Amino acid sequence: MPELRTPESATVPLEATLAAPRQRRFKLGRLVLSIREHPSTWRQAAAIGIAVLVGLALSCITLMLAGVPADEIADEFIVQTFFDPDNFRAVLAQAAPLVLVGVGAALAFRVNFWNLGLGGQMIFGATFATAVSFYHIGPEATRLPLMLLAACLGGMMWMLIPALLNIRLQINEIISTLLMNYIAQYFLLYLVYGPWIDTKDNFPHSPPYLAAERLPDVLLGINGALPLAALVGIAAWWLVSRTRLGIYMRFVQANPRMAFATGVPLVATTLTAILISALCAGLAGFVVAAGQEGRLTQSVSNGYGVSGVLIAFMARNNPVAALLVAFLVAALFVTSQSLQVFHQIPFAMVQLIQAIIVICVAASEFAIRHRLRLIR
Amino acid sequence: MLNFLVSWLADVPDSAAAYALAALGLIISERAGVLNLTAEGLMLVGAMSGIGAALTFGGQPELALLVAMVAAAVISLLFAMMVVVLRVNQVISGLAIVFFCQGLTNLVGNLAGWQNKPVVGLLHVHIPWLSDLPVVGRILFSQNLVIYLTIPIFILVSYALRNSMAGLRLRAVGENPEAADAAGISVATTRFLAIAGGSALIGLAGGLLAVGGVKVWVADITGGRGWIAVALVIFARWQPWRALAGALLFGCIESLIPRIAAAGIQAPQYFMLMLPYIITLAVMVWSSLSKRATSEEPGALGRAFVREERR
Repeated sequence: MPELRTPESATVPLEATLAAPRQRRFKLGRLVLSIREHPSTWRQAAAIGIAVLVGLALSCITLMLAGVPADEIADEFIVQTFFDPDNFRAVLAQAAPLVLVGVGAALAFRVNFWNLGLGGQMIFGATFATAVSFYHIGPEATRLPLMLLAACLGGMMWMLIPALLNIRLQINEIISTLLMNYIAQYFLLYLVYGPWIDTKDNFPHSPPYLAAERLPDVLLGINGALPLAALVGIAAWWLVSRTRLGIYMRFVQANPRMAFATGVPLVATTLTAILISALCAGLAGFVVAAGQEGRLTQSVSNGYGVSGVLIAFMARNNPVAALLVAFLVAALFVTSQSLQVFHQIPFAMVQLIQAIIVICVAASEFAIRHRLRLIR
Repeated sequence: MLNFLVSWLADVPDSAAAYALAALGLIISERAGVLNLTAEGLMLVGAMSGIGAALTFGGQPELALLVAMVAAAVISLLFAMMVVVLRVNQVISGLAIVFFCQGLTNLVGNLAGWQNKPVVGLLHVHIPWLSDLPVVGRILFSQNLVIYLTIPIFILVSYALRNSMAGLRLRAVGENPEAADAAGISVATTRFLAIAGGSALIGLAGGLLAVGGVKVWVADITGGRGWIAVALVIFARWQPWRALAGALLFGCIESLIPRIAAAGIQAPQYFMLMLPYIITLAVMVWSSLSKRATSEEPGALGRAFVREERR
């Protein structure tokens, strides 16, 4: 076709376009990505370890940018937090609710249910427990166990709505559980500013619990919250690794359709797992109210919902690992209190540091799952 | 009664535009196959950087909004990096980014001392003859600039998604990245641009909320509006115009809440404040019950693309 293209112009650019990429490829080599099917355990551990270190380094830089002198960071984080007896006791007390929300999140994530409503479930756990105290239900001797049961019930009740919406109507649980948090928070504000306001000082919190309604000290100034949380963590580990329900949950997580086809009671397994998850969150609310504050306050769930999700993610949904991660996050919480006092660093720093570390750990997933090779 | 209606409806576009722009931004990135849960965080970034720019550079709300868009787009590159390059689970990445933005905005806003400092903000325009019309003048012709820009933005995006080459490519990547890749479309580039572009709109929504609406910054200023926008996108079945309709509905509800108390109607305050969230849940139930046989969800939504894993 002579009118379309002359021989000279046809050959020259064609050759140039073909040759150029070939040459470049030869010089630089080509990065090829492939999937690593069975990453070894040590590789996983190494990748996560490096990621946590990178996250901590980035957090230190953030702290320095926020005005904390470099030499004081190590002092605040390690010496003051772990070697000062009072602070260490505070870490252990702080760890209890974090373990509970972390284990709660892990159990729900194990059946592919994104329970982001831990905060709301905590609020209802604390609210139900406070109701027992506020209306003086039962004799004083049985008050505390009754409050514990009420808290479990409260958490589960608040979960029932998104759970049923998800199971019956396939409504995305990420959004429904999150929205339920806002509703729960406003309900809490209604209670503490309205019918449950402390009439003695007119502050927006419930009247203080009686001595019998608080978690008693068990050892060296550590109250019953931590043993309770540890017990729940171990029970959760037993549940997921040693029971029939745990096996079913593993099926459901791996492939819900296959689980259903092989006769696993899909709905019952999912529902049980997420109700236990909410039960843990409700207990966390009880532990904060009866173990730390001694009353229902408006900030009972502050920061816990987010931390629970992050703890479960870092612990790979393993309840025992969640114990350890929760302990470290608790140290971060306690350190932030002294940073607040001595360096005017707001509590938001805790959230930022947690998010930075989680982003790093999530990114390390790439190194675990993929293999990068340079081909020349 | 008429007074109540006029002042109510005149406030609707202010709240609705933020929902609409955020939902549109989400639609752009989700149509490219990226499940985007970052809206709440990026709106916070937009709001804080908008107010920060207004306080630092003095006045000039247009500049503040531009800063809000750029800041959100820059932060979204981190999200894009995670989900496109590193192929991290998109739900985890989205949540991590939201937590990151919550921490970052609260920290930076507090340390910079931007909390509770009022700014001049975006003023309502006065169109010579139209703004003075009795009823429609206040409702339709004395809003701020961004609200008037929202309609052309919607026309543009919806036309581009449907008819332009770039829009077709974007949707191809969202429906079937393998086929798009085989057709010579770069999946990674398309998704990167879709996330950054969509996030700029989400940042604008956050900026509008702060600079155009309340004209002040406080911690967690968005109060879950980003999550409502995510729900809105599902309700709108990833269609821009349906999202705009949904945004108007939420705008109506949100601007009604303060008016009910102001009108002297006795209603428990905290239960009124729950309304937007309860109605979002109700809308999700309703749209789930009226689900059509064919799902309009982008085919590859939430799925990472690895070329070497070609199926």
